[in-house]
Amino acid sequence: MRNFILIIRKYNFFIVFLLLQGLSVYLLVNNNTYQREAVVSTSNEVVGEIYSAYSDVTDYLTLGITNRLLAEENARLRRADSTSFYDSDFKLMKVNDTIGFQQYEYITSKVINNSVTKVNNYITLDAGYNKGVRKDMSVISSNGVVGIVKDVSEHFCTVMSMLNSKTRISTMIKKNGYFGSTIWSGSSPMMANLLDIPSHAKVNIGDTIVTTSFSIYPKNIMVGRVAEIGTSGESFKEIKVRLSTDFQNISYVYIVRDILKIERDTLEARTVANDQ
Amino acid sequence: MISELFANFFRFILLLFVQVLVLDQIEISGPVNGYFNAYLYILFLLMLPVNINRLLLLLLCFITGISIDMFTGTAGMHASACLILGLIRPGFLNLIAPREGYESTLRLTIQSMGGSTFLVYAGVLTFVHHLSLFILEAFNFLNFFDLLLRVITCSIFTMLLIVMSQVLSQRSKEVEG
Repeated sequence: MRNFILIIRKYNFFIVFLLLQGLSVYLLVNNNTYQREAVVSTSNEVVGEIYSAYSDVTDYLTLGITNRLLAEENARLRRADSTSFYDSDFKLMKVNDTIGFQQYEYITSKVINNSVTKVNNYITLDAGYNKGVRKDMSVISSNGVVGIVKDVSEHFCTVMSMLNSKTRISTMIKKNGYFGSTIWSGSSPMMANLLDIPSHAKVNIGDTIVTTSFSIYPKNIMVGRVAEIGTSGESFKEIKVRLSTDFQNISYVYIVRDILKIERDTLEARTVANDQ
Repeated sequence: MISELFANFFRFILLLFVQVLVLDQIEISGPVNGYFNAYLYILFLLMLPVNINRLLLLLLCFITGISIDMFTGTAGMHASACLILGLIRPGFLNLIAPREGYESTLRLTIQSMGGSTFLVYAGVLTFVHHLSLFILEAFNFLNFFDLLLRVITCSIFTMLLIVMSQVLSQRSKEVEG
């Protein structure tokens, strides 16, 4: 016992180092599995307030760009509005709309913190439980997909950005429906890789890549355009995608609430459970 | 003594805000993205008194790291890298000590240590901190040479800022005096 105390006294520096290092690594590993430590979650309210004040200042500096983006989006929406189309097809007029059923709702939100330089990037938004945001909702911008809500507090939420080594989105080539996973390339914030497209699929540079209905996103949300085509092995193409969302300049996003999500998840879980 | 305590506390707050509100917001587009991140906040740990209690040093390293982590949302990553810096700092200071040892009043700045000694002291500790930080960030050894290149460029960038801030603070003291 006396020897034990002597050893502790002699190596106290190294023992304290090991204890603190152990605590750090514990926090780090927990963070990696998305189980945010309670310490960090509660302090996020404080940190969020500081970022919010900081963002109030920087918002003025990007007002010009934001205005231009909003104007462009308005123009695009106006173009898509039914009044902009010449009504040439009578069959369209006869579609009975009473079976229409709203599935998605959109919550607008402002980006108050964002990074693109790390291996795992996260975005902080100024909407939380108070605006109806819940974990695992998808987030899109006016240009395309952004990410998935990972953690929610009363007034803020953090989003696992598309630029994250763990993000994997189910996507397809819009013109022919071949589907595969899109993951971030890890270096440039503009580029991603589209995997699992069979080599006999016809793909051209400039083809549109959109989300499938298998993904957590609504169907047909723009992801990007094909920028480069190569082959990997015998059976699959290696496709590089230029992302349509400019992650280095993103200030307003929409959080998507899928009204039918709970019903779908329950059904799929029940099927799997029955199967076992 | 009290004024030194106050100076260190002030330096901690100032460097924390500079790191979080200025340096972490720098994003360079294109292929060099991620190669020029600076982590100036470690200057606080480098400039702590030479004869500081080693346990207190470890505790301050942990607090500094975890404060940065709270802002970047990377619980434990900076804390862990700072602790490694705190582990080797006392031993490394002994290694490069002059023959007669350090005077207890010596300040660990570029002016009182001399240019080359300070550059070796700060350079090696910065490199070790950045190396452990980036390894923890990647959490694997794929693309190790790419990672090493990032460590080197970021270390150079951080050192540049450290030397600049040292020279500037010296200038402002001369103007006051």
